[in-house]
Amino acid sequence: MMKRMLTAALATALMASAAYAQDETVTFGIVTAQTGPLAAPGKFQMNGFELAVEQINGAGGFQVGDTTYKLALQVYDTRCNAAEGASAMQRLVTVDQVPVVLGELCSPVAAAEGPIAQDFGVPLITTVPTAASLTEQDNPYYFRINANSNQLNAALAQYIQSIDGAPLSFIAWNNDAGRGGANGIQKLLGDNYEIGYVGFFNVGEVDFANHITNIRNAGSKSVMLLMDEEPGALAIRQIRDAGLEVQLVGTLAMGSNRFLDRLNAEYLGGMVQYSAFPPNAPIERIKTFSDAYKAKYGEESHGFAAQSYDGIFAAVEAMKAAGTTTDPEAIRDALSEISFDGVIGPIKFDETGQASPPVYITEWCDDGTRKIIAPADLAAECGAG
Amino acid sequence: MTTAIFEQFINGTMMGSIYVLMALGMVLIYGVMHVLNFAHGVLFMVGGYLAHLFFFNLTGSYPLAILGAMVSLALIGVLLERAVFRALRDNLRMQIVASLGLIMIIQNGVVQIWGPHALQMRPPPVEALVRIGQLSFTVQHFVIIGVVAVSVAALYLFLTRTRLGTAMRATSQHPEAAVVVGIDPNRVYTLTFMIASALAGLGGALLGPLFLIFPQMGDAPMLKALSAIIIGGMGSVPGAIVGGLGIGIVESLSTLVVPTDYRDTIVFGVLILMLLIRPWGIFGVRVRGEH
Repeated sequence: MMKRMLTAALATALMASAAYAQDETVTFGIVTAQTGPLAAPGKFQMNGFELAVEQINGAGGFQVGDTTYKLALQVYDTRCNAAEGASAMQRLVTVDQVPVVLGELCSPVAAAEGPIAQDFGVPLITTVPTAASLTEQDNPYYFRINANSNQLNAALAQYIQSIDGAPLSFIAWNNDAGRGGANGIQKLLGDNYEIGYVGFFNVGEVDFANHITNIRNAGSKSVMLLMDEEPGALAIRQIRDAGLEVQLVGTLAMGSNRFLDRLNAEYLGGMVQYSAFPPNAPIERIKTFSDAYKAKYGEESHGFAAQSYDGIFAAVEAMKAAGTTTDPEAIRDALSEISFDGVIGPIKFDETGQASPPVYITEWCDDGTRKIIAPADLAAECGAG
Repeated sequence: MTTAIFEQFINGTMMGSIYVLMALGMVLIYGVMHVLNFAHGVLFMVGGYLAHLFFFNLTGSYPLAILGAMVSLALIGVLLERAVFRALRDNLRMQIVASLGLIMIIQNGVVQIWGPHALQMRPPPVEALVRIGQLSFTVQHFVIIGVVAVSVAALYLFLTRTRLGTAMRATSQHPEAAVVVGIDPNRVYTLTFMIASALAGLGGALLGPLFLIFPQMGDAPMLKALSAIIIGGMGSVPGAIVGGLGIGIVESLSTLVVPTDYRDTIVFGVLILMLLIRPWGIFGVRVRGEH
């Protein structure tokens, strides 16, 4: 009898201590692509989340009220598939009952996850998807850390107008990102800006010869490439191999050392691209993050990682401000009010849930480094982009 | 505009040459064995991967890498014919299903071995440029056109001037009669698959370095080659050549007047038109029941 009572007491004590330990750990839900064709950028995103968690927990956690909390992540691989994203989101808010969800890589998947966040009243903070429409759905539970396509395009259009680049041609993906980008930039440039040729290609196509002939035919002085790293490298090679002396303008996928590894500096010299995060910028917050990232992962830091890192801190700041780690409604209210200095810049969400971090224009130097040419107050020389 | 037409003509001839290689392989298999091998595109893709393997890991020489890819594909062709298609002989539907299944097996196998990301390979002919006026092409453009022209001539000589080639043509025309004169159909079928697969491998090894080597790289050329053999005439070797080159040039030149993303629409529009007005193709033979 005594033995049974002791066992019961021990079990109760163990359960109590487990519950106590559980109370001190907050679990954030994470949805992103970890396998499939977009596994590589998904990995950058996860690196940012994990670095933030490691730093927060390494510093002893964060305090909300009188309690100190450690962070944990419940990660679901959405493989950039809308159905899997919706299913993962549903599971996080119903089964795992997390107070906040972060992540997502692909805009269409984020579009499928947003309504679930709204239905269940759990904040969703995305850190990579750029489709402008995501924050235009009147969804009070949707927040976005990174600049959206309108913000990125505005910075780029401003730069294009400042150079003698007309007629401007486009080679763009035949999807929302490519068509939306090409149309958006043309709108921003206005009717008076001369457009040479606009060509679209399907994902998986690798032959750009037809576009190149049309670009030459149109007498284009600059070419905007709205595509990802892989086709981007191929298009640049083919444009240069065809002897076209045009100003190349690319996306943020074309401004990293990884991209340089695909092409030598000879192909890239003089090319400009918009960037949400120049990893070598001589800006203290960026330098600190890039050093920590390189120390942990042994490679140049990446914008997706920086944005995701800031996402974790935004959620933590909101919990501190809300005074709760469990009430999604209060955390949402706090998120809409917070203001803090992130790695990518000042983070403050507008009424649609969109933050407005700085957008940079970087240029490849002939020696394979990059420099920042816009915004003017952050301009920096080769080696700093 | 003349410059643009010339540039697109060269580009179209280069891509058309690749379609010719693919179409010839498919025509040989269809002509001799009456099998539409839909897995021909993945054999093309494997050719690209094997050329990459031979170039970077084994020889360091691009011509040897091409040769290695062709020999390997010839052996894979033998294996496929003996392990898959021989058992399904006389069952056209099952042969088609098997070839569709092979696409999935081989593509997933390649992803398992080399991963899902595209590979790059820049042998000397791809790095070197030829300048013609204000235009510039890689040497590889002309290597592709030249190698395909030589291969087509060699195949023609093989089919018309050698005993094995004659045996293949005889089997294609009348298998039973070929047996009567001492031809072993099994050997002919194996040889046919061997040559067709080697041609697909050659195509992948030639085109992969110019663009990228990735699991789906054979899909589009296979569809274009299929269109080429229908337009040229099912089973016709001259039809495959004219059809392949024609499709390459038409799709390239069409982009001068219609948006580039309608390029495939033009090609398949021509195909549909051909099926409506002359379903037996340019060089095909009208058979009873067709109109």
